[in-house]
Amino acid sequence: MSAILKFEERKPAAARGLITLENVTKTYDSGENEVQALRGVDCSIAAGEFVSITGPSGSGKSTLMHILGCLDSPSTGQYWLDGEDVATLSARALARIRNQKLGFVFQTFNLLPRATILKNVELPLLYAGTSTDERRERALEALKRVGLDKRAKHRPNELSGGQRQRVAIARALVNNPSLVLADEPTGNLDQKTGSDIIQIFEELSEAGQTIVLVTHDPAIAERTYRRIKIVDGVIVDGDTID
Amino acid sequence: MILFESIIDGIRDIKDHFGRTMLQLLGVILGAGSIVATFSLSVTGKGQAMEYYRISGGIQKIYIDDKPTGKVTQNAKALASKGLTYHDVVALRRDAKEIDLVSPVSNQSMLIRYRTVEHERSIMGISPAYSPMNDFHAARGRFISDNDVASAARVVVLGSERAAEFFGSEDPLGKTITMNGSGYEVVGVMEEKYFSFDKKHNNMRWMNRQIYIPITTLVTRKGEALEQGKISFMHVRMRDIKRADQAVDETKHILQREHGVEDFEVFSRVANLKRNEQNNKMYDMTFMICGLISLIVGGIVVMNIQLASFNERVREVGTRKAIGATPAQIFVQFLTESILVSVFGGFLGLFVGQAFCAGMGLLLRATPQMSPDTAVKALIFAAGTGLVFGMYPAIRASRLNAIEALRTE
Repeated sequence: MSAILKFEERKPAAARGLITLENVTKTYDSGENEVQALRGVDCSIAAGEFVSITGPSGSGKSTLMHILGCLDSPSTGQYWLDGEDVATLSARALARIRNQKLGFVFQTFNLLPRATILKNVELPLLYAGTSTDERRERALEALKRVGLDKRAKHRPNELSGGQRQRVAIARALVNNPSLVLADEPTGNLDQKTGSDIIQIFEELSEAGQTIVLVTHDPAIAERTYRRIKIVDGVIVDGDTID
Repeated sequence: MILFESIIDGIRDIKDHFGRTMLQLLGVILGAGSIVATFSLSVTGKGQAMEYYRISGGIQKIYIDDKPTGKVTQNAKALASKGLTYHDVVALRRDAKEIDLVSPVSNQSMLIRYRTVEHERSIMGISPAYSPMNDFHAARGRFISDNDVASAARVVVLGSERAAEFFGSEDPLGKTITMNGSGYEVVGVMEEKYFSFDKKHNNMRWMNRQIYIPITTLVTRKGEALEQGKISFMHVRMRDIKRADQAVDETKHILQREHGVEDFEVFSRVANLKRNEQNNKMYDMTFMICGLISLIVGGIVVMNIQLASFNERVREVGTRKAIGATPAQIFVQFLTESILVSVFGGFLGLFVGQAFCAGMGLLLRATPQMSPDTAVKALIFAAGTGLVFGMYPAIRASRLNAIEALRTE
């Protein structure tokens, strides 16, 4: 009975957006002294938003990113993702959430060097247990969205940095995620290429994809529709929709 | 699905790091190779021994020979004993219940002549039981018969080489040859006996060089009374292999009773086989342990390199985890790779084992053959090595923290 009540209590909060963080803290226990990376973050992101998270290094933006990406769990507080309470899930359950609801784009691309572009993009579907034919079809579709379907049989080292990041974006999109998380996606690219990549994100956003982009580059943050600034473990600016 | 992809991935890994993989696999290759060689040698040896036994009359054969007692003081009966005589043959035929065939052999060298061909040759005086006892039959004409023995007939049966030696292309049947001055009618020519351990030399050739006459003829023509006739050795055949010990005991008992002294030896092929089996087991164990030790050493190397390559692949593991691989899936992937690499090593080990076999073939004049059974065993052992020693790296990979892994440069 109480469990049902609890669920009923939570439901309005969960319904507020795709992502809801309530008083999230994260404390790292590094030997003798505790480090408080997040000191009570409240934040809500609706479906379809294109959000940037900015902040100086050590501000806690990476920690926030990890929690949003279900790579880490909050020490205290609540996190609802797409209606699901993910704050207290097991490692296995978090892996499932990452696989089905999230897409990651990293600064260093993180493609598997020995696999072809196609295999790289197929990888999330492989872990989801999708059939071989469907994997191939959907991976090619995702590659088409970033304009690289013609290079499917190539290996990552045969591509330029910008192309590699586009493959990574295709990989992030292949499982139709609720949220795409990009961690400094232009950090390893020159300005022109970086700008092209952001343009892809803009196009995805136009098509309704929810995107959270972590960056320290103000010029890039400018191009998102909503900017969240984090300093010293708390959000200081931008927790409102423009 | 994951398994299949992991296998593909493992194959790619072997291809991309061929040199490293080979180094990694050296222990497994040699281990599997020595297991293959051991089993092949053992199986082939046993098989050949059994085949030799089969072709020379089966394992029911018991060999009985004279043995000097070495005792200075002997009782009257012992002093009177002449060793094995025709009398023992009669006694065994009459009294032994575990024995169904008694085949005495008496040897003598004789000067043999047919027309211009003359040679000093060894003659065997035998009874008709010799033929079934040794599974050795006349190819043409007939073997020595009961009638021949009963009447001490002057008939002779030639081994195939002897027939060729004295008669060339001529038909020996019905011809008379002279042996120590007396004429003997050739009534039969034996089949050609062949068995080879090394596919080169006929280990049964000595049988093709025999000349047989009735034992009674040989004994009586030496001027001995038949009953006292000296026997060089004899074979007896047990009725039932399961009662081998009883057959040997009974034979010994009867001979002891007749001789009053143990001046004979009894060798049972069954007992011999059992003894050999014991020895073989020891050899097998020794070689197996050597093979297993090199597999273990190989396994440790596999684990080491797996751990080293794992450090190279920390980022990859982090990425896989970030996009949704569960710890179990990572575990399966790494373990599959170890097993696959080890099985690949085991597969190469089969060839190395074959090379060992060929090498031993040169030394032993008998080339051990690898049976499919042996190959499967070696591969299973190799896979086991991969499984056991891949476990730790796989567990480490599966427990890796994704965030830290992604942070690693």
